[in-house]
Amino acid sequence: MTLIFIVLLPFIGSLVAGLFPAKAQNRAAGFAGLVALVGFALVVSCYPTISTGSVIGFELPWAPRLGLNFSLRMDGFAWLFAMLVLGVGLMVVLYARYYMSPDDPVPRFFSFFLAFMGAMLGLVLSGNLIQMVLFWEMTSLVSFMLIGYWHHNAEARRGARMALIVTGSGGLALLAGMLLLGHMAGSYELEIVLESGNQIRAHPWYVPTLILILLGAFTKSAQFPFHFWLPRAMAAPTPVSAYLHSATMVKAGVFLLTRFWPVLSGTDEWFWIVGTAGLVTLLLGAYTAIFQQDLKGLLAYSTISHLGLITLLLGMNTPLAAGAAIFHIMNHAIFKASLFMAAGVIDHETGTRDIRKLSGLYRAMPHTARLAMVASAAMAGVPLLNGFLSKEMFFAETVLVSGNALVRIGLPLAATVASMFAVAYSLRFIFDVFFGPRATDLPHEPHEPPRWMRVPIEMLVLICLIVGVVPGLTVEHFLEVATRSVVGAHMPAYNLAVWHGFNLPLLMSFLAMAGGILLYFALHRYLRLGTLDKVPLISRWDGRSTFEAMLNGLGALADRVERLVTTRRLQPQLFLMVALTVIVGFAPFYGSPIEWGFKPLTPVDPAFAVLWAVGVACAIGAAWQAKYHRLAALMLMGGSGFVACITFVWFSAPDLALTQLMVEVVTMVLILLGLRWLPALRRDSEIGPGMVRRTSRRLRDLLLAILAGGGMATITYAMLTRDFPQSISPYFLERAQPEGGGTNVVNVILVDFRGFDTMGELTVLGIVALTVYALLRRFRPAPESLQVPNQQRDAVGGEPIVHSAADAASRGYLRVPGVLVRILLPILGMVSIYLLLRGHNLPGGGFVAGLITAVAIILQYMVGGTLWVEKNIRMRPQKWMGVGLLLAVGTGLGAWVFGYPFLTSHTAHPVLPWLGEIPLASALFFDLGVFALVVGSTVLILTALAHQSVRSHRAAAAPSDSGVA
Amino acid sequence: MELILALGIGALTSCGVWLLLRPRTYQVVLGLSILSYGVNLFIFAMGRISIDQAPIKEAGRFASLLQYDDPLPQALVLTAIVISFAMTALFLVVLLASRGLSGTDHVDGKEPDA
Amino acid sequence: MNSWIDHLIVVPIALPMVVGGLMLLLGDRRRTLKVSLNILSTLCLLGVAIAILLMVDAGDSGGPWPGSLAVYLVSNWSAPYGISLVADRLTALMLVLASLLGLCSLIYATARWDKAGVHFHPLFQFLLMGVNGAFLTGDVFNLFVFFEILLAASYGLVMHGSGWPRVKAGMHYIVINLLASSMFLIGVALIYGVTGTLNMADLARKVPLVAGEDRALLEAGAAILAVAFLAKSAMWPLNFWLPPAYSSASPPVAAIFAILSKVGVYAVLRIWLLLFGEAAASSAGFGSQWLLYGGLITLGIGSVGLLASQELPRLASFSLIVSSGTLLAAISFGQPSVTSGALLYMVSSTLAVGAFFLLAELIDRTQVFGANVLALTMEAFQAEGAIEDTESDEVGVIIPMAMAFLGLAFITCALVIAGLPPLSGFFGKFALLSAAINPEGTPGGEPPGPHVWALVTLVILSGLAALIALSRVGIRVFWAPAERAAPRLRLIEVGPIAVMLGVCVLLAIGMGPAMQYLDKTAAALHAPQGYSHGVLTQPRVPSPTAGEQ
Repeated sequence: MTLIFIVLLPFIGSLVAGLFPAKAQNRAAGFAGLVALVGFALVVSCYPTISTGSVIGFELPWAPRLGLNFSLRMDGFAWLFAMLVLGVGLMVVLYARYYMSPDDPVPRFFSFFLAFMGAMLGLVLSGNLIQMVLFWEMTSLVSFMLIGYWHHNAEARRGARMALIVTGSGGLALLAGMLLLGHMAGSYELEIVLESGNQIRAHPWYVPTLILILLGAFTKSAQFPFHFWLPRAMAAPTPVSAYLHSATMVKAGVFLLTRFWPVLSGTDEWFWIVGTAGLVTLLLGAYTAIFQQDLKGLLAYSTISHLGLITLLLGMNTPLAAGAAIFHIMNHAIFKASLFMAAGVIDHETGTRDIRKLSGLYRAMPHTARLAMVASAAMAGVPLLNGFLSKEMFFAETVLVSGNALVRIGLPLAATVASMFAVAYSLRFIFDVFFGPRATDLPHEPHEPPRWMRVPIEMLVLICLIVGVVPGLTVEHFLEVATRSVVGAHMPAYNLAVWHGFNLPLLMSFLAMAGGILLYFALHRYLRLGTLDKVPLISRWDGRSTFEAMLNGLGALADRVERLVTTRRLQPQLFLMVALTVIVGFAPFYGSPIEWGFKPLTPVDPAFAVLWAVGVACAIGAAWQAKYHRLAALMLMGGSGFVACITFVWFSAPDLALTQLMVEVVTMVLILLGLRWLPALRRDSEIGPGMVRRTSRRLRDLLLAILAGGGMATITYAMLTRDFPQSISPYFLERAQPEGGGTNVVNVILVDFRGFDTMGELTVLGIVALTVYALLRRFRPAPESLQVPNQQRDAVGGEPIVHSAADAASRGYLRVPGVLVRILLPILGMVSIYLLLRGHNLPGGGFVAGLITAVAIILQYMVGGTLWVEKNIRMRPQKWMGVGLLLAVGTGLGAWVFGYPFLTSHTAHPVLPWLGEIPLASALFFDLGVFALVVGSTVLILTALAHQSVRSHRAAAAPSDSGVA
Repeated sequence: MELILALGIGALTSCGVWLLLRPRTYQVVLGLSILSYGVNLFIFAMGRISIDQAPIKEAGRFASLLQYDDPLPQALVLTAIVISFAMTALFLVVLLASRGLSGTDHVDGKEPDA
Repeated sequence: MNSWIDHLIVVPIALPMVVGGLMLLLGDRRRTLKVSLNILSTLCLLGVAIAILLMVDAGDSGGPWPGSLAVYLVSNWSAPYGISLVADRLTALMLVLASLLGLCSLIYATARWDKAGVHFHPLFQFLLMGVNGAFLTGDVFNLFVFFEILLAASYGLVMHGSGWPRVKAGMHYIVINLLASSMFLIGVALIYGVTGTLNMADLARKVPLVAGEDRALLEAGAAILAVAFLAKSAMWPLNFWLPPAYSSASPPVAAIFAILSKVGVYAVLRIWLLLFGEAAASSAGFGSQWLLYGGLITLGIGSVGLLASQELPRLASFSLIVSSGTLLAAISFGQPSVTSGALLYMVSSTLAVGAFFLLAELIDRTQVFGANVLALTMEAFQAEGAIEDTESDEVGVIIPMAMAFLGLAFITCALVIAGLPPLSGFFGKFALLSAAINPEGTPGGEPPGPHVWALVTLVILSGLAALIALSRVGIRVFWAPAERAAPRLRLIEVGPIAVMLGVCVLLAIGMGPAMQYLDKTAAALHAPQGYSHGVLTQPRVPSPTAGEQ
């Protein structure tokens, strides 16, 4: 139960800290410290249980089916790590309190800091692979916020982003790895995975899994070739570096390797991949560190090389090496944290971190100097300090390593060389900064930091000393518990002693010392020149610039690919769509060629053939003429539509014919009204540069069109020659009259069986009308189409005869037809009512009726002129639509009253005078709704369009008018 | 008859598709309506075809598809006609708006560079 | 069928229609009244949707609808003759998702966008009507009708506020969808011609019985129908219209549009599994290859688009495409466990993208340049007198920490979209992938095929692409030292975003129950017999006219 507190506490703390006012520096720091302290205490309290080698577990069911539970697990190793995270965290908080400037909004800082601490604890205490990935990515994310804390400078931004992307993508690889691992082990529970090591190593997926997981670990722990992000992350505030790059963030990678050591290690792949990466990182980091001019840069590269050392140890496949690795994880965390803090102090007090500027600080800050010296001695691996012990163990392992000659000779050699470098850069850190002539050109006058800023450094250095002198009394037991929890019971005995007698490792240490000192003095002058700005020999392959280049390249590439595989032009999109349809439409017939059915054909009627010859001709003509003779094309289109009409009549579908006819008319009127606003025809030259391309495109389109048409024709014929399937239609024929109360089955289907469709279709019509209205309110006719059209101009002077439709009537423009049409209105009204009423039994119905009325009204517009109509006929189309919709849906809801489902129809047969018996079905009200809505929306569309002419005349007359309807 | 109708539908579709792929908005709007004729007839044809068998119940005609033309496709076509009419109207207005705003009747709102 | 509870099923369709009609009667003015009507009705819709979800989930254990399947026979004609509305777990889930998204974007819109043109409110209601109908209907042709409703409304909304980019994008959007609609019709008609029925449940029963020589015709019909759906669900190469249309639409509209592509996905999921599930004899699994590779390519190209785009709305559009691709590919596996993972992913990604579209505007407002642009557009509206009754709600209270909120919200969105921990996006992807690798959930099943590896790789890479693209933009807008206009956020703008993202967080926490629900959903989807049986045996209320005969 304590575990859950240990993990949750920092997160809660982070939320609380975020709420502190920006200036509450002491409170925020104090609070953060308290949180860390409590956590620390809790972890300590777990030790009694842990020390017996038993494991503390905690599990909350989360998504059991996914094998994902919120489970925490603390064994010796996790315990040790938790101690590090919290202990060092505590120190860093104290340090940060004095490091951060008072103007900084520190609550935010501490909030992120605690969140990071929580993520780290969650990672080390995870008992479930996926949960581990979860916290892993959280550390990447929060570290991004921490590194970018000073985001006003570009370095911080770039560094943060690099860290995020490198470690984040590593995390994604890790996720994949964990998925595979979980699949191999049959569970995502760490407990189970740790036990199924053999089965996993034997599994065919072992290698891919290994590689994926290593990608995660290496990116996090800045192993070659992913090491480049770490130095960039030095743009972070020093406390952040002291925390992230000593004890936590970068250690997460090696933590992972150690955690899965029992599962994944012991194979050659492991040895070669992990070992090589470690070795290269070790040497590269140490070598590069020597040539750094920035204190933190030096420490960063030394961190890289120490991480390499740990990785190498883990790669060696021996329990002792693993133990040494764990030990070094601890030691490095401690001395590196103190060194970062020291560097921070120097930066803080002198205002620079440039080694070339710094010199002779000993006199100014002797105390800090002494601390720094001890710490860097530990880093160099000087005896009587903790660094020495783990380094000795490392040497011992390199000597004992088995393998071919190359390995046996090379490894110890490389180890010695690396630690020689380590000695060299440690010396550089000390001598260049604290000794030599006193620096004069420092930004600030150096002096000791405030008392409490030194305390954390003192504590850590003290630990280095104690551990280094009496390891047996201090860490041995913790270490043993931790190691045992990783490598298991078969842990060979080893004793942590300062003195093992004269042996090869000791000799190597001496060599390293001597060599390091020599190397330092050899390079001293050269480094001191200050001319050096990049690392000799290897400066050419610099991971950072490669990464940046890659990132930019990626963006550019993506841009090109995107342009390549997508388009913003309409025609290609339509072409693709039709083409795809044709392909998938034909695909099923591949292999099973289409067959005609055996339904007896209806005898051919030549008239019908002629009719369709005309229809097809019209269609083709329309297609031909649409560009240059719009009116002609429109008429031709109407022709083919009319042919469709007749076809409906022919094949016993009177309702369709009627509707199609009316729709034809209205569409025609619409397009006629619209034609006026289209631009003047401009014949673009057929011959010219683009001609070939245009022609080929036309051919391509033509081919596609023919294919599509052919496909349709084939399928249609195939269907027409087939017999009826087990259709649901007979049901309608049977029930229409008895239950639907109408003989016109189609209409009954429309208003009853499938009345729901009709209701939807009405809504569509209404919506479209609204959209049209909304669009036309904002309609901006193109300037050139504003003048009065030629048809209305005096043939002689080109002077407009009619300035606005207003005086059209008075001036006798189209007077006679005007009168006729006005007489027509009531007649058409009667007709539509008649159609409406009889619709249920004979062809007709609300829709057709509505259209007829609409046509009647629009005729008024065409002939009488917009203004006249708007003066004399008060139409409120929107009201009509509203009423129509509500009537339709109301009829539907009415059924509820009788306890029947939506839209259930009821019928009564009252006899009215003159009209005879009227089948007064509730469907009639529904049909009325249809009627009202059709009238409303059609008129709305047509008038809105017709109204434009008035507006535009006005606009032409007075351009100032904004022209909103 | 079947063959003629099938060919007719095919032809209408072809013209519709061809116009749809043209660069001028006016061509596209005509294309859409012609295509819709084709599609409507297609739906209708899915109920097979018969002459003088309008699905209007009369005494003495047995309620089966042998005596009446299939009413369901007709109902579907009616719905389809209305919707395609609405859409044509909408697209026409959009076309006008776009022409008004861009000053050209090219579907991409700008004359091709070539 | 008599109890009032049953009528609940038709409410998600009837209510918006009534409200829309009322708004028409109100005319152009009376904005305040319309706003309140709109919000009220959308709230009710959300309530009803949640009620339906709970009752459906209750199923046999005390729920009104045994078998977790609620069937409503509109106009009281029994299936397959009449039109039946069907609410199962999937439908209920989609209804809740739609109305939640709708409510959030609507509230956001009332801050300013609904004044950018006429008829925003009725169109919005009709859009919801169409979406809900599409989720509820159990009839293929009726599905077409509701598609047309939601499309027609979306045409109006995508051009809401007018302006050249919108009209242009809108025009392309319209033409493509009109073409898609014709294909929808062709497909449906062909299917009717072969099977003689339109009811999905009936189809599921008849497809296996289709004679050999007709099968190819049926499949052709289904394939043509699929093109219509896939164009809606933004599968490559049918998705080029999406980024321009969505990124030029006004933010709240774009946000609600996040559900539209999911309507397409829903249709594929529903109909494909009904018609071509295991039961479908020789046609079983027809087209799964198309779906798989189409989905994978979409996923890949969506990620590329993410990397290529700089503006926030475009990023949001491409993340929408990515999620569509992921879903289609996942669906094509035809594995219940994969499907349920995909559903979890769908819910969270839809909400996150919706929130992202809204957030994009607020963030742009903090960028001085963006702020100017917005100011300009607003002026333009003024000039055109688009704002009818100018109330004094233009003064926004400057929330303290406004910037902090935006940052937090942005990170949350980014996490969900990129599928990074600790939010629901991650768990969705995880559930999907772990199921894809190991469908039965048993250790050491047969090794997965290459398509599984392709999916895993692409999904993870798409996450990486999102990470790169979003961090780039995030750093630019939040960290780059440019002078920023102090963002003037209003609660009704911030609230919706917070709610949507909050749901993502809740999903992550309450994943156990969520997955239980989704597992049941997927199981039902993959065993369509229950569905068709339930629908076809639903008794009608004794007909009112029956007595008269």
